[in-house]
Amino acid sequence: MENVRKSYGSHVAVDGISFELKAGELFGLLGPNGAGKTTLISVVTGLSAADSGTVTLRGLPVGPGHPAIRGRIGLAPQELALYPELTARENARFFGQLYGLTGADLDDRVAAALDAVQLADRADDRAGAFSGGMKRRLNLALAVLHQPDILFLDEPTAGVDPQSRQAILDEVLRLNAGGMTVVYTSHYMDEVQAVCRRVGIVDNGRMIKCDDLHELLKLDASRIRFPAVGRVAAWGSIPGISEVATSHGVTELTAKAPAIALPHVVRVLRELGSDGHALELRPPTLERVFLLLTGRELRD
Amino acid sequence: MAVGVLAGKDLRLLLRDRRAAIVLLGMPVLFILLLGMLLGEGFGQKPDDRLRVSVVIEDRGPAAGDEPPVDGPGPAPRDWSTVVLRDLEQTAGIRVEIIRDRDAARRLVGRGDRSAVLVFGPEFSRRVGQCSFLDDRVLKKPGLNPFFREGIDLKSLDLEVLRDPTQDAAAAIIEQGAQVTLLRVVMPWMIGRAFEEVGRQLPIAIPVLNRLFSKYDLTAKSWSRLTRSQPLTAVRDSNATVYEEPTGGLVQRGAVRYQILVPSLTVTFAFFLVLSAGWLFVAERRQGTLLRLRVSPLTRGEILLGKILPCLAVSLIQGFSLLAAGRLAFGMSLGSQPLWLIPVVVATSLAATGIAILVGGAARTESQVAVFGTLLVLVLAGLGGCLMPRALMPEAMRSWSKLTPHAWALDAYSQLLLNPHPEIEIVLKSCLVLVGFATAFLLMAWVRMRLD
Repeated sequence: MENVRKSYGSHVAVDGISFELKAGELFGLLGPNGAGKTTLISVVTGLSAADSGTVTLRGLPVGPGHPAIRGRIGLAPQELALYPELTARENARFFGQLYGLTGADLDDRVAAALDAVQLADRADDRAGAFSGGMKRRLNLALAVLHQPDILFLDEPTAGVDPQSRQAILDEVLRLNAGGMTVVYTSHYMDEVQAVCRRVGIVDNGRMIKCDDLHELLKLDASRIRFPAVGRVAAWGSIPGISEVATSHGVTELTAKAPAIALPHVVRVLRELGSDGHALELRPPTLERVFLLLTGRELRD
Repeated sequence: MAVGVLAGKDLRLLLRDRRAAIVLLGMPVLFILLLGMLLGEGFGQKPDDRLRVSVVIEDRGPAAGDEPPVDGPGPAPRDWSTVVLRDLEQTAGIRVEIIRDRDAARRLVGRGDRSAVLVFGPEFSRRVGQCSFLDDRVLKKPGLNPFFREGIDLKSLDLEVLRDPTQDAAAAIIEQGAQVTLLRVVMPWMIGRAFEEVGRQLPIAIPVLNRLFSKYDLTAKSWSRLTRSQPLTAVRDSNATVYEEPTGGLVQRGAVRYQILVPSLTVTFAFFLVLSAGWLFVAERRQGTLLRLRVSPLTRGEILLGKILPCLAVSLIQGFSLLAAGRLAFGMSLGSQPLWLIPVVVATSLAATGIAILVGGAARTESQVAVFGTLLVLVLAGLGGCLMPRALMPEAMRSWSKLTPHAWALDAYSQLLLNPHPEIEIVLKSCLVLVGFATAFLLMAWVRMRLD
């Protein structure tokens, strides 16, 4: 997408965003509430027309006036999108037929999709009777029945138990391994950090950062934590340590270069009579990077 | 293909929805039943201020060999009771109603539904045939003098008056009307026979009598000929209405009221489709499935069509089912041109579908659908004449009612179900206007959807 802009009245929801997805990549799209993610997804899936700028998929324009290209796009919206009065199989068959699937092909795809999200044994139960996790899994199955080129997942694990969450993540990784391009939006930073290789962070309608995950993580530092011992000044003089904080009996050292700092920290601990067993190394997290980039101010 | 899939899904959901089925099919039948029982027999009948004279005809006609009854110009009457009925019908301010038998008449009088009923007994024609001024010696059979102080002794002619003792005045008026008519029938007959006999026995007297009574034809035997006057209207076969005794108990199947109730409620409830379509749209939004439909390769037009078709199908099922229920359960007549009901049902369903899609697409919550949908349906039904016949509305409101599809649908139904000779031009015009309404509503829905 190139220089896409979309506004509602005087509110600019997407303000000139440009980025490109590589075929087969698993891209994380992050942003605080109200940052413009939903509008961005709405534009790139062809639900809404951009005020300006272009969105293309494999060189073909995407938008409300181009229904055919939408057959190559899958969307699992944040709000569950299924018919509670219909069974899981009826839901899947209905949406499969909308994408032109028929006959044995439709049967096979429906069976495979329900099997992939572990709902094969509940295929003939009404979707309305499903648990939250089962509905989320069905929501995902409905989005991938037609084997889209690109799949947009908007908070795919919101409100589900750990088992369903893991099943969904496994399925997302499996689909991506099969060559499907996936755009993963979530407020669960650990999930994004676990599955995405490239991440874009949106705020105030702009793409404030878009990079490979490991590059983004470089914006954060590792943390070395241990029970408080010794003077703060002693820790601050260790090479590679940029910040020292002690709170509730725990000292936390911020290390931009933990590999350099760690041997020195262990040595000092031993000199102070500690055996270093309680030492804990916390690597950089996407969440900290996110907060670093978007700030800690509440958005809603 | 995709439109068919979408339409099929919605149709399945609509038909699976018991609430919708009750509103669209159960409620109208219940309303028809309830109103049918509550409304009196006069509902649906145009007011007729004429005096009603109810009669039972048991008359077996003249005996073999008797002189046939005589009447004015027109087809020869079969019996004397026919002559009496014709005379009554030609009397301004009287309408004649025939009741099937004496028992039915007794029930009607007993209930106070009729103040009096004239029963022409089996011997009536024979007795009238016997009436004569002549002496029995010149007659083949003994003659009968039916007169007494008040006019004609009805019993002597085998004519009985069943009276409701609580409605003496009304019964007396009917009896007096009958007396006058009988005098007009019996007196000329007796005069004619008498002068015929005079002519036979004194042929020389006839020219003298004709000269003396030149304004009369003394041997004519009928009032119009005797008085050399013309009947008020051409004499024809009886135009009397036949009283059909209700046979359906409380429901009173076949009553005229159903000819109005069934189409009125069919039209009213056709537009209750607004609620079903509204719930369908709102549910689609609430479930998020509208978003999934919009992200699918379907165009907006296909999505709209996918919604229109199931609504139309349900409306058609509803329309035809209610007419069938009207026919089977309430004995409603489908009129002389029943096939024309098909385009009327289709056009009404199209208009109802149009407004349902428009409202359904605009509504955001179930509450909006319930409140605004019901209000809209009832206001349109009231204005359109479904809740109260338009004939009872002030002139200005009657003009306003034409702004509703309901009024046009009712116009078409009225022609087909109430008019024995329906004017197909009116039916066609109504259907075209209804299709126009449907087109306008759907265009508005389309524009509304584009702005959404």
